[in-house]
Amino acid sequence: MRDTETLWSWLSTIDNWVGRYGLWNLIGEHLAFTVIAISTAAIIAIPLGLAIGHTGRGEFVVIGLGSISRAIPTMGLLFALVLVMGVTFRELSVVLALTAIAIPPLIAGAFSGVTTIPAWIRDAATAQGMTAWQVLRLVEIPLATPSIIGGVRIAYIQVVSTVVLAPLVGLGGVGFGIVQGLALRNFAQVTASSLVIILITVLGERLIGWAQRRAGARLEAPQLREKS
Amino acid sequence: MTFTRIAAIAVSIGSLLGVAGCAPAAPSSEPIVIGSQAYYSNEIIAEAYALVLEDAGYTVERQFALGQRDVYLPALEAGEIDLFPEYTGNLLQFFVPTATETAADDVYAALATSLPEGLTALAMSPASDQDSYNVTQDFATANNLESIADLATLDGLTLGGAPELAERPYGPTGLLDKYGVTVTFEATGDTTVESLVAGIVDMANVYSADPRIQQLGLVTLTDPLGLFLASNVVPIASDTVSADARALIDAVSAAMSAEDLVALNVRSVDEKLSAAVIARDWLVAEGLLD
Repeated sequence: MRDTETLWSWLSTIDNWVGRYGLWNLIGEHLAFTVIAISTAAIIAIPLGLAIGHTGRGEFVVIGLGSISRAIPTMGLLFALVLVMGVTFRELSVVLALTAIAIPPLIAGAFSGVTTIPAWIRDAATAQGMTAWQVLRLVEIPLATPSIIGGVRIAYIQVVSTVVLAPLVGLGGVGFGIVQGLALRNFAQVTASSLVIILITVLGERLIGWAQRRAGARLEAPQLREKS
Repeated sequence: MTFTRIAAIAVSIGSLLGVAGCAPAAPSSEPIVIGSQAYYSNEIIAEAYALVLEDAGYTVERQFALGQRDVYLPALEAGEIDLFPEYTGNLLQFFVPTATETAADDVYAALATSLPEGLTALAMSPASDQDSYNVTQDFATANNLESIADLATLDGLTLGGAPELAERPYGPTGLLDKYGVTVTFEATGDTTVESLVAGIVDMANVYSADPRIQQLGLVTLTDPLGLFLASNVVPIASDTVSADARALIDAVSAAMSAEDLVALNVRSVDEKLSAAVIARDWLVAEGLLD
């Protein structure tokens, strides 16, 4: 019970929320890193995944990236980038490292979104006289949207939990509270920061999941359900 | 289980006891377990302890690179580790976060009374590895800096260091209280020295025995008012370490000067030699090993 009280008193101290290394600012930085990295990755990965799914060429890229992403130690990548690019560009290093881990799930989401569309739908679109571009734009992308958002959902979980490493190279994010708290043996701070990270992760994941279901429900047209 | 196997076990146990009984009486047959932090400099010191003890006939077990105090101090208290090179100021701060002592002897005396039961601080070494504020040579020349006190006239200073520096008594608050120096803190973490050189921060907290202070020509500001806790190298021993073994370690501590420690660190960083080679060369040069 005493631990809960220290945790509560840490959380209810206004000084821990405001200022350069206050929780509000750290949460803002944490989300900014996450959003920037996922957006950058999306610009590259989603068109690539759609193109591979549409043409059926280069599927090895999806599989290869999926395996590589599991083998790369993110922390090592982060430190290597900072070493190569120098501390002046450490923000860029962090964004690049995060972008790298966000790309594989985004490609996979876009790719499988297109490839799981039943062939008869695509054939019907072509039979109506649609060009390849129109098939992609009017049929494949709308139908792949739930799966694309699913990719974003996985990328979000991975990126938001990796931003925690940013303070190791002198940047912010909620991980700061963990790194500082451990060194100061302030376990209320460590616990509070961890809870905030868990909260950001779960809430964000729920939000994206809701968007994914909305996108899926929109596609549940009766004629589609009958045939598939 | 056959009789032969039981007999074999009986014989082997007997021979083990026999061997133990025949071992030289002075050094105990139990190995002395020596630990070290996951910090190259600390490992060199631990290796020096190990080498002199082995030279005197003790059996030594090395448990190096054990990480942070939270990890290894419980093991030391539990008697799983017998000997550990530590630093007076930083260790005192671990046990007494509010400690106000800063001078070397005061810190040592305070540490001696705050160690848990069963652990003793052996004689401290003149060598120290402590927090210090450093600036680049250019910055020092441009602003005519020698001591931390000279910073008081400067505006818009940024201070880089590990995240915990923000809350340390010698951090921004201490700078303001003791020297009237106002700084904005920037948590530069593991990239502190690089950030100082790149100009992201104006001054940085670097350990005084860090070879990069020499290599990069950094200027360590003097601390006339005693803002920093002195942090001398000090061996922490458990009660199982005999008086003879303690005397051997004391000789190592006495022989190690502050310059020696920096020189050992420089060899580690520059020549990429192992802790064992660096420690042995130094012990031979000091006449503590043949």
